[in-house]
Amino acid sequence: MSNLIEINHITKRYEMGDNVVMALQDVSLTIRQGEYLSIMGPSGSGKSTFMNILGCLDTPTTGEYKFRGVDVSHLNDDELSAMRNREIGFVFQNFNLLPKLDAAQNVELPLAYAGVPAAERRERAVRSLERVKLADRMHHRPSELSGGQRQRVAIARALVTNPGILLADEPTGALDSKTGIEIMRLFDELHQEGNTIILITHEQDIANYAIRNVYIKDGAIHYDRLNSQRTIVK
Amino acid sequence: MEYSENIKVALQGLTDHKFRSFLTMLGIIFGVASVIAMLSIGEGAKREAIAKYQDLGVNNIIVREKDMSAAELEEVRTKFSPGLSLRDAEVIRDIVPGVSRIAAQAEVNAEVKYASQSVKSSVIGVTPEFYDILNYQIKEGEFITPIHYDAKHKVCVLGSGIAYALFQKEAPLGKMVKIEDQWLEVVGILENKALFTETVGELAARDLNTDVYVPLSMFLDRFSRGNVLASELQQLTIQVDNSDRLMETSTLIDEIIRRHHFGNEDYGIVIPLELLKQEEKERQIYNFLLGAIAAISLIVGGIGIMNIMLATVMERTREIGIRRAIGARKSDIMGQFVTEAVVISIAGGLIGVVLGVSLSLLVSVFTDVSTYIRLYSVIIAFAFSVIVGVVFGYLPAKNAANLKPVDSIRYE
Repeated sequence: MSNLIEINHITKRYEMGDNVVMALQDVSLTIRQGEYLSIMGPSGSGKSTFMNILGCLDTPTTGEYKFRGVDVSHLNDDELSAMRNREIGFVFQNFNLLPKLDAAQNVELPLAYAGVPAAERRERAVRSLERVKLADRMHHRPSELSGGQRQRVAIARALVTNPGILLADEPTGALDSKTGIEIMRLFDELHQEGNTIILITHEQDIANYAIRNVYIKDGAIHYDRLNSQRTIVK
Repeated sequence: MEYSENIKVALQGLTDHKFRSFLTMLGIIFGVASVIAMLSIGEGAKREAIAKYQDLGVNNIIVREKDMSAAELEEVRTKFSPGLSLRDAEVIRDIVPGVSRIAAQAEVNAEVKYASQSVKSSVIGVTPEFYDILNYQIKEGEFITPIHYDAKHKVCVLGSGIAYALFQKEAPLGKMVKIEDQWLEVVGILENKALFTETVGELAARDLNTDVYVPLSMFLDRFSRGNVLASELQQLTIQVDNSDRLMETSTLIDEIIRRHHFGNEDYGIVIPLELLKQEEKERQIYNFLLGAIAAISLIVGGIGIMNIMLATVMERTREIGIRRAIGARKSDIMGQFVTEAVVISIAGGLIGVVLGVSLSLLVSVFTDVSTYIRLYSVIIAFAFSVIVGVVFGYLPAKNAANLKPVDSIRYE
């Protein structure tokens, strides 16, 4: 399969007054279409910085980040916004749904920023909610949904634009273990349907659901290997 | 992102925090209302002034005898002034260019009697020109005609006030009234005229509706004048063809009359149009001040909006982060928050328009200050409120747009 993401020797440097922090030093990584990958690391390892760059929320200080062969490391703010809109589907630990909007409106939102007409937006949002089995809750606000349901709305929102990657940052962190397993089962299904999934986590248990494990420590890749003890959700 | 989405989001935000939105709008509401009220009061005063001077005739120059005591009158007579007379009118007509008509009038205060009624009144002897030059309107019958004048008919025309006082429900036309020792036939009744509430130059404030008009020729023959030294006339109203030449013409008239009165200044000249212009100039300063105060209150309202918008942006940092993460550009965020500010100011502006209009109406109904609302003042006030929304919404929106997605998405 083709390379979806090619990261070559990127660094990220933060300057805080006189202190210079190297959050990432010389990280290279290639992700192919359809991969199921976890990026693990303790807090302060540079894992979040790496995720921000992967998710086009931030750009590297040096190095090259190619997405579908296009260098995105030097895009301007509007172009990065467009990248996030089209290619990145974010799933956050705390769901990050807009509380004033109902489930369907939340799912529609990325399409609104893509300029999709209202009728088509609604249709695609409903399909996306059907995919996560929440079509019957489409008119509920986040506060009227359980944690697991909220996370499924967030996944529906991430999927609605058919992005290149699903980028999930501690997706089970705010859920009880049973609900967490349900969410991981959903990711498994989505992977089998051909989606490229990147899990960011500090928990080995969660990382074990992925096929490939990348471990980041002190701003560099410590190991990058296939997962031999993969957890299979029944 | 379509713009209608922004409006939807802004309206949502407004209705989510009704009380807060209302408080935010208050400044704009009062700002817009006061702009409209102030402009309408200014406009009302202007219209009142124009009406007043229109009554005096904007093409007219009024020469009026000064109000003099018996001693003063004696003094000017000993200095050979003949006083204001028909001779003055003739000379002006012969010499001064651009004069179209001259009305002469002589006055005496007298009791007017009918049956058992008796009313104190100014009896004014006039030439027929008077009616046209001074913009009078007749309600019934006719005014003093050239026939009445030439034949010195013993007729009179009553002001609406005195007609009512004397006759109440009776029809006055054709009835005889008695003034001093003369019996006069009523041939006309005038329309009600606005009170002349301000003294203008030599023209004292008075109620024109209690005047009685008679032919000047008959008046000079038959009415006694209290003081034997009294001038023949009290007033000349001179109408010119062209109001641009009022100043030059009045200077010329002044010179002629002064010469004929042997240098005695026993008369005054009033030019209504000049007074109108002067008054307008004075009012302009006043209006500007009122407008400035109103504008300041609008600006204060704008600062109120900015204050709340800054707080809103802080409060919604997380929302901004989420929107940015799923693809909102800076300009989308900017548009969203500017729209919110503008929606608040438009809503405030609309309420302000309603309040301002009702305030102006209440003022004119419950006080004797007259107001007049012109459409342009409503449009100006409203447009200003929208501009205030844009201007004061800009900075908070800019702040919102410049939040870094990385930081704002994790903001707690």
